[in-house]
Amino acid sequence: MTPLPIPAPDPLLLPMPPSALKALLLVTFTLHLLAVNLGVGGSLIAAVHALRGKPEDRDLVRRLAPMLPAAVTFAITLGIAPLLFVQLIYGPFFYTASVLMAVPWLALIFLLMAGYTLLYRFVGSAGSESLHAFSGIAGALLLLSVGLMLVNVTTLSLRPDLWAAQAAASPQGLRMNTADPTLWSRYLHMVVGFAAMAGLLLAGWGAWRDHAYARRAGLRWFIAATASQLVWGTWLLVQQPAPVLDLLLDGRSAASLTMWISTGMGALALFMAIPASQGGAPARAVWAPFWLGLGSTLGMILLRDQARDASLAAFGFHPGALPHKTDWLSLGVFALTFAGLAILLIVILRWAVQPVPAAGEEAP
Amino acid sequence: MNHPVWDLPLLGSGWIIGIISIIHVSIAHLVVGAGIWLAFLEDRAQRAGDRELQAWLRGRAKALLWLSAIFGAGTGVGIWVAIGLVNPTATQHLIRAFVMGWAIEWLLFAGEMATLIVLVRAYDRLRPRQRLILYGLYALCAWLSLVVISGIVAFMLSPGAGWTTTHAMGDGFFNATYLPSVLLRSFVSLALGGLWALAAGGVAPPALKPRILKPTALFTLAGVLLTVPAGWYYFQSFPPAARELVLGNLKGATGLAQGFRWALLGLGAYLLPALLVLWGVFRPATFRRPVALLGLLLACWGFGGFEWIREVARKPFVIRDVMYSNGIRVEQVAGYQKDGFLPQNAWARTFAASKGDTDLAKGEALLRSQCLACHTRDGYRSLKVLTASNTAEDNVLLIQGLRELDPALNPYLDRMPPFAGTEQEAEWVGKYLSSLNGK
Repeated sequence: MTPLPIPAPDPLLLPMPPSALKALLLVTFTLHLLAVNLGVGGSLIAAVHALRGKPEDRDLVRRLAPMLPAAVTFAITLGIAPLLFVQLIYGPFFYTASVLMAVPWLALIFLLMAGYTLLYRFVGSAGSESLHAFSGIAGALLLLSVGLMLVNVTTLSLRPDLWAAQAAASPQGLRMNTADPTLWSRYLHMVVGFAAMAGLLLAGWGAWRDHAYARRAGLRWFIAATASQLVWGTWLLVQQPAPVLDLLLDGRSAASLTMWISTGMGALALFMAIPASQGGAPARAVWAPFWLGLGSTLGMILLRDQARDASLAAFGFHPGALPHKTDWLSLGVFALTFAGLAILLIVILRWAVQPVPAAGEEAP
Repeated sequence: MNHPVWDLPLLGSGWIIGIISIIHVSIAHLVVGAGIWLAFLEDRAQRAGDRELQAWLRGRAKALLWLSAIFGAGTGVGIWVAIGLVNPTATQHLIRAFVMGWAIEWLLFAGEMATLIVLVRAYDRLRPRQRLILYGLYALCAWLSLVVISGIVAFMLSPGAGWTTTHAMGDGFFNATYLPSVLLRSFVSLALGGLWALAAGGVAPPALKPRILKPTALFTLAGVLLTVPAGWYYFQSFPPAARELVLGNLKGATGLAQGFRWALLGLGAYLLPALLVLWGVFRPATFRRPVALLGLLLACWGFGGFEWIREVARKPFVIRDVMYSNGIRVEQVAGYQKDGFLPQNAWARTFAASKGDTDLAKGEALLRSQCLACHTRDGYRSLKVLTASNTAEDNVLLIQGLRELDPALNPYLDRMPPFAGTEQEAEWVGKYLSSLNGK
């Protein structure tokens, strides 16, 4: 059998232990995903409510819309770091997959900028009489298509056995990873997850700001999307390659426990969200499904990583075995910059929520 | 080249980096300069108690957020995507060498976005002094991110002997062209940011125009003029071989010479805004936006020319003296010439196998891996055109000649990597080259 064309890793040593890099990858990816949930899932929700056009929907859109551009900005900014750490740890797989579908992968940039521009147009119209619902829908769809490109590269990077056929089919890199049976199930699982989490965040905001319609609408989005995960999630699970599926279903491994615990938390959140979404339910009823749903998402992020390592282990790759030599100096500079940025954020966020100054205070 | 090759006909994959980069670096430098300009003008407005000007500056901060968040960040991610597609081996090497540098730059970019978003979204809640601090913090984060990225970009031109032995980030970062690069880029930022501000000021209310345009024009003028000595200092810091490559290729009809001439014209064009902005100093009331936009266009051309020269001056390397532009590391060449490139490169082998492992298929596989980083078959730097008058034997001799590592025997060595393969592999490439012209 011909060996698979997996490139050799770069000869330079990693600047810190792979476990530390993995931790940074997971933390930054979690932050990125939260911002994506709010920005992209929120755009979808806002656009759909804008289409409905009832007064309470328009009010909801007016309140939700101003948060969206900042959320997308942070989704992009926070997405750069995990992309960096993925390239560092999984470089040979990531680069190969991206080159093999170069054109759709590069298209991601233009989809992102077009989607973001339309989102700004939609948000700009939220305060006026003529709400540009079409811009909202088109913007949300374009941002969702960015996710499709990411899922394409991610799934292809896990399947070195498909690479040679992919390269032969399109030397110009025009083809997406459609030969992989997990592509569409994974994408739908993710998109529905965005809608669910954005709904949950909206419900949390509604409870915090005492906005009953936002609370109920958010919970309804969460319920509908999470219930449908029974289809998308199960579809994704059964399409996993045999070694990964066996691991997930064995009931003993860390990956299997992570899957069952986070699925259980999601299901519990769903059942608790149903009564909380009813008319007479108190605002505080939101918080149990809110935290359970958030916990379920964190578990799924961990599970995603465990499934990735299990997939690549089948091809002989073990990230924990990558050689390293800790570069303390650059690590120290990073830590100092991080501390400085954290202080800066605390200070400016306090300024951002302080009361508007009285007229006399305005003088410079 | 250890990875698959993105085979982009006619244009060549390198241009994808070029197009995205020139847009990104223009925006990235512009937003640094615009940030400094905002802090400078807000300070003046607060000292003068000029509320009207402060309100106008608020609108510019909003525009800057829009530009920075959508197009700055979008094209920034675009460069990452593009370099990973065109030269994944070099990208991986740079990321490994500078991961904490990239991470620090990322923190600074997050700081830029956070300060600007708070400034724009919470403007009414902020006290004047807090606003001024936020303008200043935004400018500082933006400039520091330039300071960090300059180290990595300058490293590619002059990594220095220290890094090649230690591989420590600090040794690579503080390299010979680093400080000149920071100075030059900072002044270019002032010029681009100032011209953007003049374009905005050109349509400001008439009463406000002089209060905006006079200081802004002087700010821009300072940026343009300071770029001149900084550019000279930067060029003097080039490694000697890079300087010789530029100076030795200013004449003639080669593509390289034509490129250099266009770039030099651009450098001349960069100075023209110094004259245009005088209009803003002496006749602010009649100053119009198109004048500033023309200046911005000329300055971007000049800056693009400078970036092109910097990129080309690295030839034949992507990281000077470390890695050739086709992703082959310098120390790998001898091994490939002795034991063959194909046996050691899974992706070249995979490609050849997909085409039946004929001599032509092997030749094409080798050409894709070693030549397509800079050439195309029949478009930009067309191999078909460049070898049109060669006989089949000439082509074989040409590639076999490129195996020479002695500059006296290989006249292309100052701009093109040596062929990293055996005599037999060179013959396969020669045959494939001939097939492009039907020979």
